[in-house]
Amino acid sequence: MTTLDNRVSSRPIPNPSKSLITKLNAGTGLVVGIIFALGTYYLLNNNSSDDATVNFQHYNRTLLASMLMWSVGFLVGIGAFIGPWRWLIGKDLTAEEQLYLAGDGQGIKRYFKYCTDHKVVGIQYLVGVITMLAVGGTMAMMIRTNLAMPGGHFITASVYNSLVGLHGITMIIAMIIVATGPFGNFIMPIMIGAADMAFPRLNALSWWVLFTAIPVLCSAWFLGGIPTGWTAYAPLSIQAGPGMNAFLATIIIFAFSTAVAGANITATVVAMRAKGMSWNRVPIFVIGATISVALAVPAFPTFMLAMIQTALDRTFMTSFFDANFGGSGWLYAHLFWIMGHPEVYVILIPGVAILMEIVPVFVRKPLFSYTSAIVGFAGIAGLSVLVWAHHMYMSGWMPMLNGPFMVTTEMISIPTGLIFLVILGTLWNGKPWLKMPMLCVYAFLWNMLVGGITGLYLSDVPADNYLHGSMYVTAHFHYTLMGSALTGAVAGLVYWFPKMTGRMFNERSSYVAFWFIQLGFQVLYLGMFTAGAEGQPRRVVDYADTFHVSNMVSTIGAYGVGIGFIVLLWGVVHSWRHGIIAPMNPWGAKTLEWTVPYPVPLVNFDTPPVVTSDPYGYGKAVK
Amino acid sequence: MSDHNAPELNPTPGERFTKFLKRKDVLETLGWAVFYTTGFVILGGKFYTKWMPTMMSTDMRAIERLMVIFTWISAPVCGFVLSMATYTFRHGHRGDTPPEDGPATRTNRLGISLFGVMSSLLALVAILYGLIELNSSAEAATKDAPNAMVVEVTGSQWVWSFNYPAQGVTSNELMLPINKPVIFKIISEDVNHSFWPVQLGVKADANRYQTTTVQTKPNKLGAFDVKCAELCGLYHAYMETNGAVVTTADFNNWVTAQGGHTA
Ligand SMILES: [Cu+2]
Ligand SMILES: [Cu+2]
Repeated sequence: MTTLDNRVSSRPIPNPSKSLITKLNAGTGLVVGIIFALGTYYLLNNNSSDDATVNFQHYNRTLLASMLMWSVGFLVGIGAFIGPWRWLIGKDLTAEEQLYLAGDGQGIKRYFKYCTDHKVVGIQYLVGVITMLAVGGTMAMMIRTNLAMPGGHFITASVYNSLVGLHGITMIIAMIIVATGPFGNFIMPIMIGAADMAFPRLNALSWWVLFTAIPVLCSAWFLGGIPTGWTAYAPLSIQAGPGMNAFLATIIIFAFSTAVAGANITATVVAMRAKGMSWNRVPIFVIGATISVALAVPAFPTFMLAMIQTALDRTFMTSFFDANFGGSGWLYAHLFWIMGHPEVYVILIPGVAILMEIVPVFVRKPLFSYTSAIVGFAGIAGLSVLVWAHHMYMSGWMPMLNGPFMVTTEMISIPTGLIFLVILGTLWNGKPWLKMPMLCVYAFLWNMLVGGITGLYLSDVPADNYLHGSMYVTAHFHYTLMGSALTGAVAGLVYWFPKMTGRMFNERSSYVAFWFIQLGFQVLYLGMFTAGAEGQPRRVVDYADTFHVSNMVSTIGAYGVGIGFIVLLWGVVHSWRHGIIAPMNPWGAKTLEWTVPYPVPLVNFDTPPVVTSDPYGYGKAVK
Repeated sequence: MSDHNAPELNPTPGERFTKFLKRKDVLETLGWAVFYTTGFVILGGKFYTKWMPTMMSTDMRAIERLMVIFTWISAPVCGFVLSMATYTFRHGHRGDTPPEDGPATRTNRLGISLFGVMSSLLALVAILYGLIELNSSAEAATKDAPNAMVVEVTGSQWVWSFNYPAQGVTSNELMLPINKPVIFKIISEDVNHSFWPVQLGVKADANRYQTTTVQTKPNKLGAFDVKCAELCGLYHAYMETNGAVVTTADFNNWVTAQGGHTA
């Protein structure tokens, strides 16, 4: 908070002093990162043994260490440790240096620096997320192209398996940050009337740590790929080739980034809200984002732990998960799903919360039953940590507990119902303004309905006997993650685009993209549900002729979705450069982010806002 | 909330309800609700019966029935959500200026309570149905177990093999006599696999050093597919083999031809 006081003071922008800080950026990060990585590699890489197993373990150690050192080196090179170092020697950054780090007046350059301004971090996340989604989407198109025809000869089985895993993990990472990254960082602090995040330097850290995971994940491709899918079940993961190290390192780095971001977002919402913004006046997106990151706090360290244990099994022959030496693959599955199911809601809740933020604005009515929305989110989050073993009904781990896990899982339908109630209650008696973000609300209602109901079948043990591990599962979770959460994030993009870029999102492209994506999506997953019902396992490079029709339909739909996303991407690029200049509050919304101009001033508000009501005061009084 | 402005002196709940039902938007929404609910009831009856493969055991029959009934349970939910969505979408506002403000309704105690009770009841029905089904299949299995035939299933990258200990036969194809309960004892030689005799409606993972057990009773003659439902490496997609349910006589002939002995 001292940071802010210093910044508000009308000190002139310091002339780039001789301070080291001014000389560091992503370029120096890259150089130091590569030096660290190569240095580690050459120091460790001496395969002296005659034993191939020992050599392989040593090679894994070398690769893992090099990847993690790349991340550390990059952070050193970009200057992430200057602050902590100063603390260590009993000082802190000077006021000039802090102001410099906030990037004021540095134009486009600050996007390539260790910049503490939450708006810069938000844009960095946005561009990062779009890139990841584009890469993951391209992989999905390759997968669907291969599956258009039985025979699967477009790509080899090994490449296919890698694509499945890399598509999975790329999308999971992208989806975890898709709402809380760009909007949580750029919009949320303004929404609550704060001048910045609680810990601006941690904010920069969370982004740049995440950034270092991207090249690591890409390197998997050049190290022979990963054969395990994103679930990385042991013992397949222990048997896997060197590409697996890239997967493990990515998750370790990513989990660190989310822990930092989660702590920061939670602290910001708890401590930095504007005067008068009591808990019952907090915008619902902020509530959703906070519940989501709070849920991530126990989830991702578990994932990180499972990855470290896998890495130890691979590099030092510990045997956490390797049954050949007394370990247990079930243990891995537990750790994975104790993260894996809450993670679904870490992704879903902020997406839904964006839509709940949008509905009142476009219907011109207050959010219906704000309390139900919070109870819904909290109920989902609370139950979601008690359901993980529904992914393990058929594992043989403990058939006796299948019943209880079925009960907890199906109970999630009750708080999920509240989500529908809130949105429908807001729509009812209203005349929704059918702009693209509002269309996304309708798409969400349908997709979440389908995703929820198919989830009901899957949660049921007898039905899961048939559906588990089939294409039906794949279709189901795409309805929830893509059809619901991503739709929410896309709505948020169009809705907040004016505040983030100063320009309106090109309307025509938003509609064209919407219809291509949503209609293509229905065709894509109708085909996939059918393939699953027919009995096609998931994650297969090839299939029997009987599944041809449903797969062909699915691939056709996928191309529709692909076209839609290309149009959307074009819309982003075009609108960012040539879009109509946006007024301060184009949608007539009542949340605080619409009270600040573009470009948003460094400390967001000239005078700290005072809040006197919740942001949903729309509508004519009811008699 | 009423369209009328005429002051009324405390209308009874019954009167208010009739008036609510006469509202134009309520009527249209109810129409849509009936339309969607019926649609999903029909869809539920058709989709799974059309696309799911031949049912070759009571387990598979139970699964298909469950899918249909769950769709029926969800049909009114679909009707509720989609009807309100459709009505508001049809009467939405198009144009470049925001619409007029709607009523500033922030809550509706009756609506929320009704919704809460109804959605909890539907969830309860689904839970109870699932538990009963689970229990009855477990009971059937216990009853059948004493006269069941044992088949040891081994998964390895990327083949299935089947050992019939009582018959002394090992095969890569899964032959089963009709109406004879069978217990599969499943194990893996390497990574995780998942044993999936598709048309029999059972599934269980093959783990290293841990035998998993699953039981069923084939009740229809014919061929079925055996697949692997857990990603197990390079040729996971091709880890499949043929199975067949045959008459007891045919099964005995097959056992003899394989060099085994019939009981
Ligand atoms: Cu789950
Ligand atoms: Cu397999």
